[in-house]
Amino acid sequence: MKNTKALLVIKNASYQYSDAEDGEYALLDVSFEFEKGKIYAIRGRSGTGKTTLLSLISGLERCTEGDIIFDGKNLRDINLDYYRSHDIGIVFQSYNLLPFMTASENIILSMDASGIKVADKKKRALELMRSVGLKDSYANRKVLRLSGGEQQRVAIARSLSYNPKMIVADEPTGNLDKQTEEEILEIFKNLAHEEGKCVIIVTHSANVCNQVDKVFDLKKVK
Amino acid sequence: MFIFKNALISITRNKGRNILIGIIIMVIAAASTITLAINNTASDLINSYQSAYDKELTITFNRENMTKDFDFSKREKLDDMKEKFNNISSYTASDVEKFAESDYVESYYYTYDVSLNGHNIEKATSEKMSEEGDSDIPSFPGGGGGMSRSFGDSSYDFTLNGYSSLEAMSEFIEGTYEMVEISDDAWEKAFDGNYAFINEELASYNNLKLGDTFKLEDEDGNTYKFTIIGIYKENESGNAGPMNLFSNSANTIITNAAALTAITKANSNVKGSINPTFIIYDYNDKDAIQAEFYKKGLDENYVVETNEETANAGLSSIKNVQAFATTFLIITLVIGGIVLFVINMINIRERKYEIGVLRTIGISKPKLTMQFVAELLIVGFVALMIGAGIGAVMSKDVSNSLLASEINSSKESSDKIKGNFGGPGGFNPMENGGPMGKISGKGKPTVQAYESIDAVVNISVLLELLGIGLTLILISSLAAMISIQRFTPLTILKERS
Repeated sequence: MKNTKALLVIKNASYQYSDAEDGEYALLDVSFEFEKGKIYAIRGRSGTGKTTLLSLISGLERCTEGDIIFDGKNLRDINLDYYRSHDIGIVFQSYNLLPFMTASENIILSMDASGIKVADKKKRALELMRSVGLKDSYANRKVLRLSGGEQQRVAIARSLSYNPKMIVADEPTGNLDKQTEEEILEIFKNLAHEEGKCVIIVTHSANVCNQVDKVFDLKKVK
Repeated sequence: MFIFKNALISITRNKGRNILIGIIIMVIAAASTITLAINNTASDLINSYQSAYDKELTITFNRENMTKDFDFSKREKLDDMKEKFNNISSYTASDVEKFAESDYVESYYYTYDVSLNGHNIEKATSEKMSEEGDSDIPSFPGGGGGMSRSFGDSSYDFTLNGYSSLEAMSEFIEGTYEMVEISDDAWEKAFDGNYAFINEELASYNNLKLGDTFKLEDEDGNTYKFTIIGIYKENESGNAGPMNLFSNSANTIITNAAALTAITKANSNVKGSINPTFIIYDYNDKDAIQAEFYKKGLDENYVVETNEETANAGLSSIKNVQAFATTFLIITLVIGGIVLFVINMINIRERKYEIGVLRTIGISKPKLTMQFVAELLIVGFVALMIGAGIGAVMSKDVSNSLLASEINSSKESSDKIKGNFGGPGGFNPMENGGPMGKISGKGKPTVQAYESIDAVVNISVLLELLGIGLTLILISSLAAMISIQRFTPLTILKERS
């Protein structure tokens, strides 16, 4: 039975690297569905294709076989640059912020890239930083002067800057201590349950898997 | 808009690298400004210099072609050679008119030369001329009728030069001849009918004056009456021989081509030599004109020649400087372009992570490329302007210094030749008046070589510089363009992880 409420549908998605041999897949025949207002974990051991799946979901790559449908639109048919800058927020384990910019500049850059109309982008950046637990005084700091947890919060604030419907995070707590992991997880849960976003976390942390609404397991491709 | 904001942020963030790029572009711009200014100014000078000269084309005898099969050491062969000369078909005034109808020809004029004896006028001479008759060694014809037995033969008393128009009277234009007396209506009559200008020495020798008439006769005894409408003198002349008191032109009677054509038509035994000069549009058409003339009946023992070498005689130094400037410009641009490209490659590699992040947050490849190109354009434009300013200040001195060294080297070479003919006091065969000058310069006014270029940076130079600068920047931006097209964000971010 098809889930009509699903925001993201992955149908028999497979991915093969361009330099792979015949029959050698990084991801094979994966089918998942994700709904708004829920937080998901994609779990699997190293080499099961977790990051590959996340890059397909986030539009960094296109699946070689199968389809990914976001909000009724097949990712094959849409501009992935637009998709990444409007529909989906991406959070990486290594934050991927621009180190020569301040925390607020990183967030504003993301708003600029999406073309979102905001009267006062600086004010909006401060609001977003507050929402992820960062003080206003951090706004003008170069991100390299922030701790790992603080940088990850900036990365989450950046991913929210254009109000996407879905957040995908690749091992977002992988570099963080236990307490910070809890705080970050709390932010993601709030985004899903309070703000109605669909949050997908790729992880192999048992603690994260225990706190999400649903866990998908990825098996190594044989 | 945020593209330019990002570009500005990146420029201020990477001051060192951008200053380096700026300095390189500035040096290229300064060098380019100087070389472009030299090039443009030199081109203007060359054009104005060349426009002072008519582009002339003449028909000359191909001596090399004619003599290649002859052995001058064997006297018996000379008769064969003479016969061969006599068999060359000449060209007539109507042929010249036909040649002049060419699309390559702007206008034309010609002189027609005939030799006749005096009937009631005596040749000006201080010694009895030898009456040996035809020499065994044939005289080389100088023009279309040159193969004539009669023209150029010293057994005749007078040489008649017939001009088709005023511009054909090159000796007067150049100052070799000068009118000393002239009738009021001389120029109305000068180019039609039996009117003549005679040398003042001949006039004095025969006690002739303006308005007098004299008669000449051909070999068959036919007489031709001429009325004197002008008396001229020869300037800077040598005399006709070591024992002769008179100048070379003493027995040269100047009349018009129509009168001489009428004489040669009236008696076919009177041979004339026609020497046309065609004013052409472009020296590069020389070969095409020659081919067309051959097609229209010109004997292939004639070739066409232009005065390009003479017209360019004073430009060799300036052309050398221009060639040097052009070569320098090309080398500067190639080396500068390569250096800029390499720096940009390094720049892109250093900023790979940044590209990955920007692509991840959804900035498209074209926008990202625009940002990198904009960075280079902003730095490049500022550097171009500074470089152009430096180049403008330096161009005059650099161009003149280059020209000065070129002139010095030319002078050294010229002095050396002069020395070979007897030192500083000796004559220079390359100058007008010297044997070679007479051949190549054909008595043109002394060529005044340029001693300064005074290269000017004008709007045309600035536009060219801008064009070159932008092209260079865009070429060096190719590094960014190619890399951005090739990188995938995931690969970049994975590499970093």
